Amino acid sequence: MATTTSTPAAPGAIERLQPRSEGQWAVVFRRFRRHRLAMASLAILIIIFGASILAPWIAPFPRDDIGLNRTRLPPMSVDPATGRLHILGTDHLGRDFFTRVIYAARVSLMVAISVTTLVAIIGSILGLLSGFFGGWVDNTISRIMEFVATIPDLPILLILSAIMIQNADLIVLPTWIIGPVAWIMAVPNREATQVALLILVLASLGWVGVARLMRGMALQVREMQYIESARALGGSNAWILIKHVFPNAFPPLIVAFTLGLNSALVSEVAISFLGFGVQDPTPTWGNMMGFATSYMFNHPWMPLIPGLPIFLCSLAFNFIGDGLRDALDPRLKL
Amino acid sequence: MTTYLVRRLIQMVIVTILSAMLGYSLLYLAPGGPLLFLQQMQNTGQRRVTEEDIVRLKARYELDLYLPIRFTRWLAGFPAGPIHIGGVNLIPPDTVVGCAIPGQVRLRYPDGTVEIREEGCVRAVTLADLAERRTSRGILFGDFGLSQQIARDRPISDLLMSRLPYTIQLMGVSTLLAILIGVPIGIYSAVRQYSRFDYAMTGITFVGSSLPTLFMGVMAILVFSVLAKDAGLPYLPSGGVQGIRDYTIPWIGTVQAGSALDRTLRFIMPCAVLTFFNIASWSRFIRSSMLEVLRQDYVRTARAKGVRERAVIMKHALRNALIPFVTLLAGVLPTLVAGAAVTESVFNWPGMGRLLVDALGNSDYTVAMAILFISTVLVLIGYLVSDILYTVVDPRIRLT
Repeated sequence: MATTTSTPAAPGAIERLQPRSEGQWAVVFRRFRRHRLAMASLAILIIIFGASILAPWIAPFPRDDIGLNRTRLPPMSVDPATGRLHILGTDHLGRDFFTRVIYAARVSLMVAISVTTLVAIIGSILGLLSGFFGGWVDNTISRIMEFVATIPDLPILLILSAIMIQNADLIVLPTWIIGPVAWIMAVPNREATQVALLILVLASLGWVGVARLMRGMALQVREMQYIESARALGGSNAWILIKHVFPNAFPPLIVAFTLGLNSALVSEVAISFLGFGVQDPTPTWGNMMGFATSYMFNHPWMPLIPGLPIFLCSLAFNFIGDGLRDALDPRLKL
Repeated sequence: MTTYLVRRLIQMVIVTILSAMLGYSLLYLAPGGPLLFLQQMQNTGQRRVTEEDIVRLKARYELDLYLPIRFTRWLAGFPAGPIHIGGVNLIPPDTVVGCAIPGQVRLRYPDGTVEIREEGCVRAVTLADLAERRTSRGILFGDFGLSQQIARDRPISDLLMSRLPYTIQLMGVSTLLAILIGVPIGIYSAVRQYSRFDYAMTGITFVGSSLPTLFMGVMAILVFSVLAKDAGLPYLPSGGVQGIRDYTIPWIGTVQAGSALDRTLRFIMPCAVLTFFNIASWSRFIRSSMLEVLRQDYVRTARAKGVRERAVIMKHALRNALIPFVTLLAGVLPTLVAGAAVTESVFNWPGMGRLLVDALGNSDYTVAMAILFISTVLVLIGYLVSDILYTVVDPRIRLT
């Protein structure tokens, strides 16, 4: 990145003239590290994410271990029958809350990550094509984007997921979708259908924001001189798009990705809370919240157990997005 | 301007019809529906369901018509019977538009299994038959048909109308409050950038706009209803519009169910949650657009001329900073319908969002489609209004 014109000088002077060269991502990381809240958020996310990955090994109980003689135990209580400790207590069916919350983390976070990844891929491809080529490509894609944007998000999300999930048995998804989903979320295959459907619904409506962003970036980058020189060198459209346009449109995509994680998480939680998302034996923070709220009047700690992870993750995604935005913005000199 | 408006209106009609088609195909693809309970009845042997019953019910829900005919009848109430102009039948009245009783073909496979497949038609429905039915005027003209499950056989528009006042009350008051509180906070934060107030407000609004309303709602109930009540402090009732029986609140006394006080107490929490969320996002918005404007040359010019600081901010800066705010306000319009589904569900508030959730929970898809349709139309109107308002507040912008 940093180069200086070398003129004849005394030995050792060249090293002094050339500042220590530092890659772009090293700079970004150095700037990001200064954002203390973002770093704290990253740490919290890593802990929650780690717990969710290790769920099958660190969970003290089986996920769906129902015990009707130990329902709604408060946190840190010992089951009198077995003498075993329930760190976060038990839910309305006597299932261990800690176990379910980390399994739920796996589903909720993985849904958020898969949705956002799909959204980023679809949005980038459509947005870049639209902005880079212009003409009828841009026209077609822009009309589609406008149309999807006019459909109100929340109602259509609720309707689509309600229709799909209530009839999940009738919809047959190919095994190459179900298999990985079941494996990643650590759920049995028959439960994976619902999760996969929810991911598809959320992704199919969420890509417009990213597509708009990437279209704008492509429009901007297209006019740059380095694109002209790449063309003069005989670069094909595909090569220019992949090698020059995409990398230059990448930084805002990362910020959009982080903030998108939050909105995907919040949507999944809301839909599952209302009962149209992932259904009960499969835990998610949303459906756990839904059950917990109906018992909160006599057991006020219950909604806190799925609520706090939602709170922490939601804030963490936003702080990290904020930190990344600052770190990636070259106009800000820190 | 006129040609622009005409073009926009035509576009709006096209988009409306397209989204109606999308919605209707979803409705058509959705299993369940009104005939599901017939099957259940037959399976449990509660009552014998005759073929005539099925024919009658199918006719009532128009399930015996072909899909394109059903769609046009749902959309615009057409055809409502034989089509004739000036006494001349345009299309023969015995044209088949549907099938009341499908023919059944017994297929016997070589391995002995028997499959019954629907094929052909025993009794067809013709255009002339349609004249005897109730035909909706079509959703384009505000007739959404009949509810299938929630309030069986009552017009959906009645259902919507009964929920509308609550939604307007909730969304109207919270939007107004959010503007009244959020805009001044945003302005003050921008004018005193990096002051203690600014830091506190950016912190609070950052948290407020990033937290899901679901979490805020549940926490509000937990703190102000559950924990406050347990601690013997004055508490707020947790949900609904009005109570069923009287209750006593410490320091305030007995609250009569259905009294103005009862209704107010129940309104506070859902309204506060929505207001807080909107304040958080809008004051951030105002702050950044105000900061942008304060850096402009004309603001410096105004100051250099010796205009009082107050006038610089209120006249020169604020008026320009509010321009992008107009789009935000137009975006509120569609959320009036189902934007607060989560908040309304948490607080058991009987608004339109709650109606959508109830409708979907009961597989009453026609109600859901009506809500979707209304909100789509409102989104389109919102876009149009914001574009027109733009030209009003910013004379540099011309619509062509």
